[in-house]
Amino acid sequence: MLLELKSVRKRFGGVVALRNGNLSVRAGEVHLLMGENGAGKSTMMKIVAGMQARDGGEMLWQGQPVNFRSPAEAAANGIAMVHQESLLAPHLSVAENIFLGREERRPFGFVNRRKMQEAAARLIERHGFPLQADWQVGRLSPAGKQLVEICRAIQHGSSLLIFDEPTSSLSDAETAEVFKIVRTLRQRGTGVIYITHRLDELREVGDRVTVLRDGETVHTSDIAELTTDRLIQYMVGREVNAIYRREPLPPGDELLRLEGLSRRPLLQDINLQIRAGEIVGLAGLIGAGRTELCRLIFGLDEADSGQIFVSGRPVRIRSPRDAVREGIALVPEDRQKTGLATGLPLGVNITLASLPAVSRFGFILGRQEREVIARQMERLRVKAESPKQLAGRLSGGNQQKIVIAKWLARGAKVFLFDEPTRGIDVGAKVEVFEVMDRLARSGAGILMVSSELPELLQVADRILVMRQGRIVAELPGRTTQEEIMSYAALAGSVNASQESVQ
Amino acid sequence: MIQRLLPFLTLIALFVGLAIASPHFLTSTNLSSVVRQTAVINIMALGMTLIIISGGIDLSVGAILAMGGLLGAMAMERGASIPVGISIGIVTGMFWGLVNGFLTTRLKINPFIVTLGTLGIVRGLTLIISNGLPVHQLPADFSFLGEGTLFGVPFVLWILLVAAAAVHVMLEHTRLGRYAFAIGSNPDAAFYAGIPVAFHITSVYAIGGMLTGLAGMVEASRLMTGQPTAGQGYELQAIAAVVIGGGSLRGGEGSVIGTLVGAFIMGLLANGSDLLGISPYLQQAIIGGVIILAVTVDELRKRRLPA
Repeated sequence: MLLELKSVRKRFGGVVALRNGNLSVRAGEVHLLMGENGAGKSTMMKIVAGMQARDGGEMLWQGQPVNFRSPAEAAANGIAMVHQESLLAPHLSVAENIFLGREERRPFGFVNRRKMQEAAARLIERHGFPLQADWQVGRLSPAGKQLVEICRAIQHGSSLLIFDEPTSSLSDAETAEVFKIVRTLRQRGTGVIYITHRLDELREVGDRVTVLRDGETVHTSDIAELTTDRLIQYMVGREVNAIYRREPLPPGDELLRLEGLSRRPLLQDINLQIRAGEIVGLAGLIGAGRTELCRLIFGLDEADSGQIFVSGRPVRIRSPRDAVREGIALVPEDRQKTGLATGLPLGVNITLASLPAVSRFGFILGRQEREVIARQMERLRVKAESPKQLAGRLSGGNQQKIVIAKWLARGAKVFLFDEPTRGIDVGAKVEVFEVMDRLARSGAGILMVSSELPELLQVADRILVMRQGRIVAELPGRTTQEEIMSYAALAGSVNASQESVQ
Repeated sequence: MIQRLLPFLTLIALFVGLAIASPHFLTSTNLSSVVRQTAVINIMALGMTLIIISGGIDLSVGAILAMGGLLGAMAMERGASIPVGISIGIVTGMFWGLVNGFLTTRLKINPFIVTLGTLGIVRGLTLIISNGLPVHQLPADFSFLGEGTLFGVPFVLWILLVAAAAVHVMLEHTRLGRYAFAIGSNPDAAFYAGIPVAFHITSVYAIGGMLTGLAGMVEASRLMTGQPTAGQGYELQAIAAVVIGGGSLRGGEGSVIGTLVGAFIMGLLANGSDLLGISPYLQQAIIGGVIILAVTVDELRKRRLPA
């Protein structure tokens, strides 16, 4: 046994993050760690990687009891972690980040830049990543940063590697490359712990699985012995309908129309129409221009030609303020960065975009504001102790609901959902879909960007496929993943994904 | 909860401790002088609270205080009435607040740098305007602002209470205050919510400037002088009051009550040291230590909670 955790405990103030964490990882196996957000996966892994001290329980590393007091100590013992959120130095180059803390030295403490550059270039080359050793990390996309994190972890030649949702920001081609790396590591006898939310990934890379729920290890077995439904049951502790399918309804009036919208070279000649009650899916590889299109509609970037119509009226949208005024709402991919003020109460977040409606002469009317908050919390079934609870303390699914509630309170009609289920538990995903469905039923029009094709197929009434800044196909909602991919990934798409990384 | 109340408990403990340690502490003369000494920093710190909550910082307030006080005094010296003189001080402060806000939002320069620059500019201009000389010929009644008494309490305390109440209401019950918290907590999320971020940041600096201008007039009244070198280092004391009171330089956190408590803790420390005969050199070191201690306790409280 490479690593063993026995009844590991960890609490933060009054909150128990881990009450009974058990895990055993063998050399040469890929061990999946699954569980909902807040189940304690990250806490457990941070303890293993020496980033946090445990309050109790035992940790054995190659049979010896250990107690790592810093990431450096864990690394010296051969444990490395690929972090979900980037822990890179943005102003340094790719090569410098890969070797951060382990620089190639010359005498008198000077750094051998050329040698590091070459070693990094070889590493990147070997795995075919769309990176250059001398690129500045701050300029990379989330996917590019993730690849640098992976390079850094494998470069150290560790005997245990922990991947924390490594593919959540990667395209399919990059994901495939990550899987290849994981398999290579396994062959070399390295132990791999792999945290993921994506059920489709587990059979592709995993040997065994451990499921955490509410800070407790509830199940460990070979993956082959476990059905997907059982796995979900272990994760959420109840039966969940994993297969959600929305019933489309007859679309109403046109809400949003784009005619010949361009922002060269990222977006070219975009035409689309969204009607009330519709959920329109937007598929495409990373770098195809989906997020860019959302940014354009929401006024974060300006078009260089073309026209946006809202409810048939031509409008000019030059800032989010203009977009919000026209009833357009963006539910961004990165909730914590652009969707929520996580340090403020959730109630404050809900009315953030609609304060003028609940205030007079600049003074906020407390009772009316509380009513709006209560109404939205009930409508979206937000699970929270009180409106005073900080938004950052909510689960991913509930945070997503707060973002949506903010726009509902504002009376938004057109919703742009950019990767609405990213970082959200399986159980909560269906709930997000249901919220989207209810929005559509109440007369909203939705544009849904997603890299998860199964989800698009479950939710969207029709699916637009983008490639290299253009909409190249419009498919019915009951199409297949293969059909979508055949349009999204024609020749040249590899270049597109490479452009996107820088 | 106890930790959140810690600054307040510290203030009470300090008060009780000094009352026991020194027979001169609980005299009305002494308490009035504490209030008068603290009031100027306190009024400035109210504006600083707003600015820090919105994620900004203002290093130029000491210089603005001097220019506000000087211009107000010069106007009165040339025959302007007292209300006009005071208004001129306040408007001067507002003007420089607008300049700070404009540079921060339109040119998107870090407020630390912007206000470091305006600190130099304002101080320099103040010295040029005055030729480096103080203005002494002020109407005798002007001293009421800083030294007068109303209902047996120093008049500055009334000014402070009114200003504090106004800023408190602004923070907790108006859109401007709410937006200040939102912008300080996450400027991107505020922008994405359609909030006019630049306008509100500029407003916050302008209000901070007005309060600083008012503080400048109080200071001028206490000295009965428009002093071009007034207020040196006050910016740091104002920031310290906010921070001791639980404000965060990362933005999104802070309160009027906290700031008042923070300013009075510093005021009592200074007064207590005087009464107990502790050297003024050591006083500075004590106050410096208290700032670090206060922020450490606050950080530990936050770290106890999961991310």
